[in-house]
Amino acid sequence: MDVAFRKIDIDVYDEDALQETELFDADPRDPAQVLEESRARQVSVRSLLAKNDTVGALTTILENAPYGPNVEDAKTISLQTLLTILNSTKSTEIPNVIKSLSIDSQDTLMKYLYKGMAMSGWADSNASVLLSWHEKLTEIAGTGCIVRTMTDRRTV
Amino acid sequence: MPEVFNISQTPITAHAFNADRSQLAVSFNSNDAQILARQGSEWISTETLAEHDKVITSIDWAPNSNQIVTASQDRNAYVWQQTPDQETGKIVWKPTLVLLRINRAATHVRWSPKEDKFAVASGARAIAICSFDPENNWWVSKLLKKPIRSTVLAVDWHPNNVLLAAGSADMKARVFSAYIKEIDERPAATVWGSKLPFNTICGEFASAAGGWVHSVGFSPSGNVLAFASHDSSISVAYPGGPVHHIRMPTLPLVTLTWASEDTIVAAGHDCQPLVFSGSEAGWQEIGTLDNGSYGSGSKVGPGSVGRLKTGAFATFRDADSRGQTSSGTTDTKLNTIHQNTITSLRPYAGSPGQITQVSTTGVDGKLVIWDIASVSALTGRMAAMSM
Repeated sequence: MDVAFRKIDIDVYDEDALQETELFDADPRDPAQVLEESRARQVSVRSLLAKNDTVGALTTILENAPYGPNVEDAKTISLQTLLTILNSTKSTEIPNVIKSLSIDSQDTLMKYLYKGMAMSGWADSNASVLLSWHEKLTEIAGTGCIVRTMTDRRTV
Repeated sequence: MPEVFNISQTPITAHAFNADRSQLAVSFNSNDAQILARQGSEWISTETLAEHDKVITSIDWAPNSNQIVTASQDRNAYVWQQTPDQETGKIVWKPTLVLLRINRAATHVRWSPKEDKFAVASGARAIAICSFDPENNWWVSKLLKKPIRSTVLAVDWHPNNVLLAAGSADMKARVFSAYIKEIDERPAATVWGSKLPFNTICGEFASAAGGWVHSVGFSPSGNVLAFASHDSSISVAYPGGPVHHIRMPTLPLVTLTWASEDTIVAAGHDCQPLVFSGSEAGWQEIGTLDNGSYGSGSKVGPGSVGRLKTGAFATFRDADSRGQTSSGTTDTKLNTIHQNTITSLRPYAGSPGQITQVSTTGVDGKLVIWDIASVSALTGRMAAMSM
């Protein structure tokens, strides 16, 4: 007896079903291009950190961050680069660095902090750094920044 | 000084005043609506409107025709009119069922400016525009469906009685044409367009980070649309022009109203009404109507964040270094008058283009009437920057 029909995913044929992709504007860039950009940014961040330009390094990595589906590698590279920046900043400098970021960058930074805390493995060794950045960022950007992290469908 | 009324211990889901503000229709998160009449500084319940089978989600009172419309999760709406009761001769509120033809809960209802139509937002991804059919003596509904993809959370009418703004859980705020051939005459052209048959989309807007659109509002002239979304932002859209997004460092706003062509008052999860001001060139937040001196203060204000300043750490640190033990309730009471989210903010006094007072109700069961003129700066917060 032909039971293949049981394996059909009927939800893809349902016009009324709300797809995740309808809820945000997709990244207009091509995935390969995004990956290239992330690698290029990793290089430029290293040179900026060597010159002790933390604000410049953060702005580079946070602006136009890769988001959405299909760009997993680019996202991992960006997260690792960001973590090196966070680890290398002295805790007394953190508030000044955050204050010089734009609101967009602050929101993206909060998204990366939560992503870092969520990743098992990374979280254990980096927890204190992530938590101290989170505290300082919340003091400056407010709880609205956290709400935007939770609401925004453009996940980094 | 804001007037504060503690009218219930249960959350107030919706409230609507009558034309002269002597009576109030409220829903206390239940299947019945209550009519409260003002007596001095108290609100006394005079009548209960019991007809719905599920929680009433929204109430609107038409000031000129004196009709109340209630919408509920039971997928129905009732229009209530005052008529003399047949047996006793007393004036009572009598319901008329409106067949909305929706298969999910109704979330929001508003009378149109001329009070000949009303719009019901629902979870059925549709808005029911209801008008009265005198031939059959009942209310008929036409549904606005495309391109809404999720629950409609709020609606607001344009002053020309034809255009309708709707905020939805699919992260968009849209302007529809709700032109009903039998009821409306052809509207004049507006900035939103001309020649608009039923269900035309005149504009679709979203805020940067997305988020459910909790509340929408047309300006008094109808030329500007403001909407509050869950990403803690308020957006002001000029059709054919810029859309200004104001991102707040505070919790999301869920209800807003225009006080005048350049002022918006909004409230939400921060439990205090905020005032925004601006023009086509830009908008910014100018302050709050609740300066914290009215509520009995507590150690933990709305502005302090950080794990070392709140909660358990602060309690033990204060007990240790300052010898202060918390008496239980002081650090759970908020600095603001409202102790919980404000869910509904409506104009109370003033002419339609120059509102002077607004009324708010919230989850804490309080009704507060605020004076828009007494704006004070938000302390301990970064002032919002406009994009």
